[in-house]
Order: sequence, then C-alpha cells, then structure tokens
Amino acid sequence: MTAPLVRLAGVSIGYGGRPLLSGIDLAIGPGDLLAVVGPNGGGKTTLLRTLLGVLPPVAGRREQATPLRVGYVPQRDHVDALWPLTALDVVLMGRIRLAGPGRRLGAEDGERAGAALARVGLADLAGQPFRTLSGGQRQRTLIARALAAEPELLALDEPTSGMDPAAELSAMDLLRELQRGGLAVVMVSHRLEVVANFARTLAFADQERKLWRTGPLDEMLTPAGLSALYGREVRVREEQGRRFVYPADGPGGGA
Amino acid sequence: MSPLAEFWEARDIWRDPLLASVMAGALLGFLGVYVVLRRTVFVSAALTQLSTLGLIVALLVEERLGVEHEHAGVQLLVALAFSVGGALLLGTAGIGRRLPGETGVGLAYVLAGALVVLGANRLLHVAHDFNSMVFGNAVAVPLGDLLVLAAATLACAAIHTIWQKELVFVSFDRETAEAMGLRAPLWNGILYFTIGLAIPVSARALGALPAFAFLTIPAAAALLLVGRLRPAFALATALGALAAAGGYVLSWRWQIPTGATMVTLAGVLVLPGAVAAWLRR
Repeated sequence: MTAPLVRLAGVSIGYGGRPLLSGIDLAIGPGDLLAVVGPNGGGKTTLLRTLLGVLPPVAGRREQATPLRVGYVPQRDHVDALWPLTALDVVLMGRIRLAGPGRRLGAEDGERAGAALARVGLADLAGQPFRTLSGGQRQRTLIARALAAEPELLALDEPTSGMDPAAELSAMDLLRELQRGGLAVVMVSHRLEVVANFARTLAFADQERKLWRTGPLDEMLTPAGLSALYGREVRVREEQGRRFVYPADGPGGGA
Repeated sequence: MSPLAEFWEARDIWRDPLLASVMAGALLGFLGVYVVLRRTVFVSAALTQLSTLGLIVALLVEERLGVEHEHAGVQLLVALAFSVGGALLLGTAGIGRRLPGETGVGLAYVLAGALVVLGANRLLHVAHDFNSMVFGNAVAVPLGDLLVLAAATLACAAIHTIWQKELVFVSFDRETAEAMGLRAPLWNGILYFTIGLAIPVSARALGALPAFAFLTIPAAAALLLVGRLRPAFALATALGALAAAGGYVLSWRWQIPTGATMVTLAGVLVLPGAVAAWLRR
C-alpha cells in the first residue's frame, strides 16, 4: 500500500483556537480524487487550508510526505485582476517554488509554463493580459499555474466556477486524466453534479450541523446522506451513466 | 547671466539636494507600484504619519533631555523604528476578525496625525520648521542624510532585484503562494520592511507629504500608460525621479515651495496616462 502524501488524524479545524469541525481523519494518497461538498460557510475551504498546512489544526495531527509539491487553485475571486500580468506571467508563478528563492526563472520554466497552458487549452492566449480573459479562461489559467508546479497533490477551491458547461467538462476530464496518472486531487465544490460524476471519494463538511463524513462516492451519494447535509430533501437520478442531483422541491423535483 | 548659467553656477548648493530628491523619487516611485496594486495607498499614508511622529518624538526627547546639539542620526533611527514597526504591523497583521484591516490603518493614520500636531505644539525650539518637515523643502540635505538615503536605496534595489518573483507572487495571490509553500508572512514582512525603510529616509529630503505622494502618483501614472508589470516598475521609477528632479529645478527657478512643486509636477505626469486610458475606453 502506498504511503499517504498527507494525513489528518483526529483533527479539529478552525481559527484562533476555536474548532469549526472536529474528529476529522483523512488520508490522501497518489491517485486519489476527493471532493469536499457542503453548504456555504460549512468549513470546506478551512479544511483545504488545513490539509495543505497553511492553517494549523486546532487539535489533532497533520502529517505529510516531506517535501510535498502542491499545486493550488484558489477561488477565482481571490485573485486580483488589477495586476498587469499576462496569462503566461501568472502560470510562471507556479514555477517559483521549484526554482527556489532568489533564483531566476529560466527557459525551461517558460517551456513548462507554456506546456501547462497548452494542457488547459490556452496556448494561444499566453501573451494575453490576465485581466482581459473571461472568467472561465482565468480559471483555466489558474489551473495551468497549479500544473506548472509539477505537483504531487493538486488542491482546487471551486475550480469550475465561472466556466461554461463545455469548459467545465473539459476541466473535469483533465483532472480525471491527471488523477489516473497518479496525481492526488482534492477539490472543494458547490457543484454537486460535477463531483457526482467525477470524484472517487466524497466528503461532507458542515460546521453548523457539526457534520463530517467521508467515504467512497457510491456510499456517500445517497438521497439520505445529501438530505442530511443540506437540510432539505435531495434526490439522485442516474441516466445513461450520468448522475443528476437536484432538490426534491425544486424544478424537476416532482419527476 | 542667463537663468541656466545662474543655476549651474550654484551647483555646489543644489547638487546634494537634487541627488537626494532623484534617489527618493525613484525609490518611492518603484515601491509605489506595490502600494497601488496591493490597494494599500492608505497604509503608505499612515506610515508617512508614523515616520513624522517618530521624528517629533525624537526631537521632544532631545529637548526634554537638554541635548544641545541635535543628533540627526538618532532622529532618523527613531523615525525608522516608527515607520518600519508600523509597516510590519499594518502590512502583515490584522486587528482581529471583528474589524476590517483598513480600520487599523485608519486608526494609525489619524492618531499619528493628531500626535504629530500635539508633539509639534510642545516643541520649544524655534529652529524646527514644522512646515518643511511635513511639506518638504529640500534646500539643504546634509551629506550624512544623502549617504543614508543612498544606502537605503541600494538595499531596497538589491532586495527587490533578488526576490522580485517571490514578492510579486505573494502580493498578487498570497493564498496560493502560501498553499504552494512560500512563507507569505516572511515575504510580506520583507516588502513592508523596504517600504517602511524608504519612507523616513526619503521624507528627510522630500518631506512627509511628498514622500506619500511619490508612493502613489508615479506608480499610478505608469500603470495607466503600460500594460505589463516590469515596464510599469521601470516607468514608475523613472517618473518618480523625473518629477523629483523637475520639481526641484522649477522650484529653484521660480522660488516656490519645493515639495509642493514636485508633487504638482508628478500630478501633471499622470495626464498622458489618463488621456491614454480615456482613449482606450
């Protein structure tokens, strides 16, 4: 069995010593694809930050393979489009940790960054100002930056927000391809339908209900489990190998 | 004698102040790109107030202790302590989760401003020209001040040349930089240290308000004119130097206040960028 890249053991996550969610046991290894879902303010991003070691656990233990190369995709709104940077400039930032402090980025870094942009379908926009890109293009640029870091663990916070359905599908296809290549992928998402069709493992996080559960997708993606998480009846339907998740009292709920 | 010949004849008088103004203008112009893009213009305003407060505190202590001759080095050190300390505090720490960060910056700005006025009011020594201190009057810059400014400029230039990519990454997207293994508090601390260092040594030559202005205006002018980061840094540095030098020469020629002339000229340099931005709309 492969050793996990990062593990949380009996961890409580939170800020300033105050726990939001407790009793978290989680191990992420090569080839894992974990999606964390839950309501707004449920503690998903806090969990991600704790997993990456940016935020210390309030209690419990975090262990990681040393040194761990991480690629991170923040929520798109967290990146300030005021900066006069091209898409390539942004992607090159993914190479900074590998280059080391004070060392200049070289031609190889430029090639790797260009390849990462090509992988997300933005090779033609390398010289385009980041601020003039569409929301979906910016998001793909941020994914390219994370890939340019040659990560062992790829962490994404709402990676498909702002993407049109075609871009969302191709982004998720890319993530699955990366995962099959041995990359560990952890993503936080509101888009239940997206994770329902791509994740292998699912985690529910809701600090208000003090709910933390994780397990294989098929075990977790049940109407009972989702209804407990969201506090309203949720249905799951499968058609032609594709899962659809929707509230029972919303459009299509009576179907 | 022509005005130009007259100006050249007096070069022993203006050489050091002009050199100091150019260095300060260039240094603040460069750092201003970070200040503007990080949306922390108000932080630099608070830091210039804190730097002036440090100077006033040093002067008051010297007076109260009965020190006969002023110690410019000690005054600068106290101003540096206030500025660098304030920069590290305001730039890298918040004031808790109940209030937004800018509340702390606002508090520092108004309290430091009030204490500057109260402190200046308690100064007995008539030689302290409060207006020059705040608004700038770079008529004479002692060699010691010039050397300190040169050393600070070189130190900042070295730091920003060696670690520019880390400083830009952390400024642009702190969350990702931190998640990908960069020590964001350290890099933020280094950036704010350079800003905190630049303000008091520049304010000795330019005055506090012009120092604040130069942390904003040249960068704004450059960012309006160019669409890439490296050219923006270069242009902001050049515009800062140009506004400081041009303002100094014009104030000499027309016998008008130096600091105000520099700031006004810097403001004029924003116009091409503003027009270009308007035309691009």
